[in-house]
Amino acid sequence: MFSLLYWVWIILGGILIGAGVHFIPVGGAPAAMSQATGVGTGTTMLAAASGLTGLIGAGSAYASSGGNFGYTIVMGGVSAALMISILAFIANVMYVYGAGVPLASAKVKYDPITKWRQDLYVSRGTEGHGTPTVSFISGIIGAFLAGVGGALVYFALAASYAGISGFNATFGGYPAPYYVSLAAAFAIGIFFLNCVMASYNIGGTIEGFHDPKFRRLPKSIAASLVVSAVGGLFALLIVVMLPGGI
Amino acid sequence: MDPQMMVELGALTLVGAAALIAGVAEDLESDVGSQSNPNSQVQLAPQMGYLHRLYNKAISGEPASYPFYAAIGASTALSVLSVTGNSGLIGVFFALVAGAFVTSLIHGVYATTSYMGRVASQSRFGQPIYLDVLRTHTPVLMAHGFVANFSVLLLSWVLIAQHFSPFPFVVLAFIWGIALGGVGSAVGDVHLGTDRYYQDRPYGSGVNAAHSGSVVRKAESGLRNSIDCAWFCSKFGGPLTGLGFGLVVYLHFWKEVVVTSWWSALAGVIIVAIFVIMNTYLERYSRQRYGTYKEEVEE
Repeated sequence: MFSLLYWVWIILGGILIGAGVHFIPVGGAPAAMSQATGVGTGTTMLAAASGLTGLIGAGSAYASSGGNFGYTIVMGGVSAALMISILAFIANVMYVYGAGVPLASAKVKYDPITKWRQDLYVSRGTEGHGTPTVSFISGIIGAFLAGVGGALVYFALAASYAGISGFNATFGGYPAPYYVSLAAAFAIGIFFLNCVMASYNIGGTIEGFHDPKFRRLPKSIAASLVVSAVGGLFALLIVVMLPGGI
Repeated sequence: MDPQMMVELGALTLVGAAALIAGVAEDLESDVGSQSNPNSQVQLAPQMGYLHRLYNKAISGEPASYPFYAAIGASTALSVLSVTGNSGLIGVFFALVAGAFVTSLIHGVYATTSYMGRVASQSRFGQPIYLDVLRTHTPVLMAHGFVANFSVLLLSWVLIAQHFSPFPFVVLAFIWGIALGGVGSAVGDVHLGTDRYYQDRPYGSGVNAAHSGSVVRKAESGLRNSIDCAWFCSKFGGPLTGLGFGLVVYLHFWKEVVVTSWWSALAGVIIVAIFVIMNTYLERYSRQRYGTYKEEVEE
């Protein structure tokens, strides 16, 4: 059933996704050559990989708790943070034992968390390598925010679609009702919308909250607000023509 | 122990093993095809005057291509199941094989057009299209892609059959495809990009940006091709990618199987904290073991 509160959840979720992407340390292609600090893949893709793993956690939590709001969004955030902490740690094992480089950031002289010196450990002609502690923590915060955002969007859509009697039906031997599929598909769509917006704002690589590019965050929030409002409205309005939609 | 939990843990072990194999095969496939991040070097090399016999395929980033393979495979498997109507173990197994097979055919088409297109666009730099490279590498990467996709389909199917996730098969395979591509691109590519492509540079430093594109073109015997790279990366990059993806999938559901409700959120937080501590130790170890690159200058 359509409700303005669900729309607000989707907009808030979109803003959290867009903000979370800015925290995640992304090295892009140069990180694979140990030329940049961060995890070596694209901004959108890294955020999506962790955030959508969070969505799987949120989906299971929503189904097992019977739609408990707090549990769904916390499990979304924790699952996403778990994914990125494993990913960044295993990537660091690769940097240390596979490439033989220490983990270092080129954007700050001292790590704000461990207070360890950074610039001396950056090899010649590179912008740092691996994911040092400050970027690691920043990534966990970012993935948590993105996971919570994705879970909020999923919760709003699932709660909205669950009110339609036809969407509560199941298909064949499949235990999950239709609305789960629909809500998951739209949540993935809104997740990608916000990731791509944030990715354009970052423009390549970012090390985390200590990176100067992080100051561009307010622009991204404004952009996420607009795209999530439009995307969320479309996602919610598909039900209004159906019996029980309003 | 609760019998239900034992069954779930057994299923989860199968899921973790499938994820491990998927990770290894995915990384080696991207090494043979030089997809994803290190492809920037393979693409750049002819422009810098270094002609090579490496396979050059960048269909898209791995986290974008793998979900689509997985989704195509999952849809095909569901179609086969709906036609055969055999939802027993054998029926499902062959449906998943059929899904992964169709996926690998599509993968082969994309890889061929990508190799021909990308290398043809470099004709002004004198880079030839090696038909023997195309003929020998394409089946190898299709085979690795088949193993990776079959494993993703298998683990998604087990997750649904055991009610670990309410998401439909195609959506679940799609999301695990993104996670698989993310891990493969973040972990395995470093071994290929930093070490294998620049083996003539001193070990133990990042690749100087000034050396970008000067990839190693000579092999232990003859000229290097991308299958040599997969052989090298199968010693460390591939297994570590498998370990990473296996851990992601296994720990994600382990925290929900062993404990329930809010305790599973707490278990997740504790696992994250353990990884933070391990990472800090790893960082300190790397600094003490390898030392600095520059001397400290008094300011």
